[in-house]
Amino acid sequence: MAAPAGAWLVFGFSPEEAAGEPGPGPGPWRLEAGPEGISRVWPAWSYVVVETGAGLELRSAGQRRRLPGWAEALPSETHLVLRGPAGARAWRREAALSGALRDEPAWSRDLPAEPRQPLPLLPGGFATPRPPFFTALPARVRAQRLVLGTEHAVALSTAGEVFTWGGGRHGQLGHGLLESGLQPRLVEALAGVPMRAVAAGGWHSASVSEAGDLYVWGWNESGQLALPSKALAQERAQAEDSSTGNTKLTPCQEQLAAEGTAFISIQAFPALLDLPQDLEVSVVSCGSRHTAVVTRGGELYTWGWGKYGQLGHGNNVSSDQARRVEHLVAEGLRVEDVVCGPWTTYVRVQEP
Amino acid sequence: MAATGSAEGVSGSSALWAEVRALLPRAEEGLPLALSGEVEDCVLPLLRRARALLYGAAGRPGAAAAAALERLSDILRDYSWEKLNAGPWREVGKGWRQVYAYGCLFGALAEVAAGRSLARAVRLCDLGLLMGAAVLDNALARLVRALQPHLPRAAPRDRARAQRVRLQPPPPALRPQEVIPHLHCPSLEHFRDNYLVPQRPVVLEGIMDHWPCMKKWSVDYFCQVAGCRTVPVELGARYTDEEWSQQLMTVSDFISQYIMAENNVGYLAQHQLFDQIPELKEDISIPDYCCLGEGEEDDITINAWFGPGGTISPLHQDPQQNFLAQVFGRKYIRLYSPQDSENLYPHESQILHNTSQVDVEDPDLVKFPNFTKAEFQSCILMPGQILFIPVKYWHYVRSLELSFSVSFWWS
Repeated sequence: MAAPAGAWLVFGFSPEEAAGEPGPGPGPWRLEAGPEGISRVWPAWSYVVVETGAGLELRSAGQRRRLPGWAEALPSETHLVLRGPAGARAWRREAALSGALRDEPAWSRDLPAEPRQPLPLLPGGFATPRPPFFTALPARVRAQRLVLGTEHAVALSTAGEVFTWGGGRHGQLGHGLLESGLQPRLVEALAGVPMRAVAAGGWHSASVSEAGDLYVWGWNESGQLALPSKALAQERAQAEDSSTGNTKLTPCQEQLAAEGTAFISIQAFPALLDLPQDLEVSVVSCGSRHTAVVTRGGELYTWGWGKYGQLGHGNNVSSDQARRVEHLVAEGLRVEDVVCGPWTTYVRVQEP
Repeated sequence: MAATGSAEGVSGSSALWAEVRALLPRAEEGLPLALSGEVEDCVLPLLRRARALLYGAAGRPGAAAAAALERLSDILRDYSWEKLNAGPWREVGKGWRQVYAYGCLFGALAEVAAGRSLARAVRLCDLGLLMGAAVLDNALARLVRALQPHLPRAAPRDRARAQRVRLQPPPPALRPQEVIPHLHCPSLEHFRDNYLVPQRPVVLEGIMDHWPCMKKWSVDYFCQVAGCRTVPVELGARYTDEEWSQQLMTVSDFISQYIMAENNVGYLAQHQLFDQIPELKEDISIPDYCCLGEGEEDDITINAWFGPGGTISPLHQDPQQNFLAQVFGRKYIRLYSPQDSENLYPHESQILHNTSQVDVEDPDLVKFPNFTKAEFQSCILMPGQILFIPVKYWHYVRSLELSFSVSFWWS
């Protein structure tokens, strides 16, 4: 499963800040790499695992650790799951950070050498970077891709169907309800449209159709669905009030109430997201509370929570509208891939 | 609120910092950052770093330290916020709520150290009180009590606007057979034998006569005592509506936007205001009849219900006995016995299983034909009266005008 290598840029929260140290700023900063570049990244909150020409490497605040012999990673703040030719193992995060991978793993599972699907998928089920580490998946799902949110999971079947299960209180399952479900259930609203990619954020989900259309559903509390968010509108109203010197909070807020804008906090059914100029999407990825897409034309659009600079616009402003990351355009960088960590956005770019 | 830079409401003085600093343990060893539950290791260095910044400076942390402390507090709050939202509230680990509380405490202290507006510091304290769990001998409550006197007094209400009040539709006429009995100060035994044991509703009069709230409470009073405090407000006609939501705002904002202006419906409902603002608890008393229950007095949940005319609580049932005390304003209340539950068409879903699908004052009898079979009792609850709602008794409440009720849930 060789992925093309290249140069990666990162926006957002750094491993240094996660350790309580001053960080390099919101970015973009370039992921250091040898001449062969970096082909894949698997970001957690306080560290990231990257695939270099020399194999997997774990990068956290002020340190790098080689992970020889492993092909894929699934990291979390409690454990790191690694998959290699012999099988899959999970170690506690502290063991992984200190390089104690010869210690007894918290979990292990023998697997055939040749993986058919990428992590978290495993034969017969999928891995999670926390107990129980392995969960069986009914064969009927025929999953080719699987992504994990904070409380839910989204699977893409070989037929292009989308299945969801897990926590559903924020509409992230896309079945039109605010209820959870243990069993994988087909997202009926997307049944007629073959999908080729799925993504899961903290409490939201996204899928891309063969034609390049983007569908989003779940929680919109920070505008991560690019739907009007009340909290963001109020932040903007307050910011406007303080910039015009108006210290009373009431006028703009009353205006908001009077406007009768249709704010959406939860979108329980998938909604088609029209990007500016009807651009087609090639890749989508979701962080905890933000979303990023790469268009067919090689541009990056982001929206949602931006407090740590993860939207890539050089500030800490959240947005409920899809905005192009201008820095990449200005530098003449064509975007080929995007992977979101909880509070970060990693992009692979083709240098001019 | 005072504009930034003005003397009022801004903690320029080192006297305030000294007062605030005295609320914390003297030495760093006195703040072990102990947590009552498991959390992820990644937050521990952040907590320790924040503590070091607080205790590092000889006096008040300088600008750089305060900025670093603010940043760490943001990270602690944002990370633990995700944990607080990661499952049903009752399953959220206490450790994570404590991390959130520390994030609020360190953030409020950073605001004071940086000499910025105290309104933000008070807001952070309230967020920690609302969503966090007590740390450091209830430091957040002690901190907000120390900060509140330093905030500018809330501006007096615009008297002219008080007149613009939307009239509420009158309640249905009360037929004699449905009126709930009213009793004046019954003895404990009489109440127990005739109402508590047989589980029958009754309106009690005379109980609240000497509660200080009857004389003290008004919209102005709440503005003065609690104006700067952040509370959860329900927006939307009823909690069964799609557009219904909850929002945090200060009591002043709630009063000016939803009590005075009455744009859309806003209701400060089902909020343990008296835990958040202990000063107000002294204005009320726990009805003596609660001692007839099995639970401890500490287990009694006291909620505030403050809103304009037109707030509606859809027909629903609660798992405990309830004394609903009316302080000002009137409420139309209808009660149905749990024996009639089948005729009340409760929602199927888990979340709303305790709520009827029927709109009591405008029932859809095509969809819910058996609703007419259900017998009910009703009353207009007046100031000074307490309604006894037996456990699991279905109740529907509509405020007829500006209203403040206090409910006591007991077992």
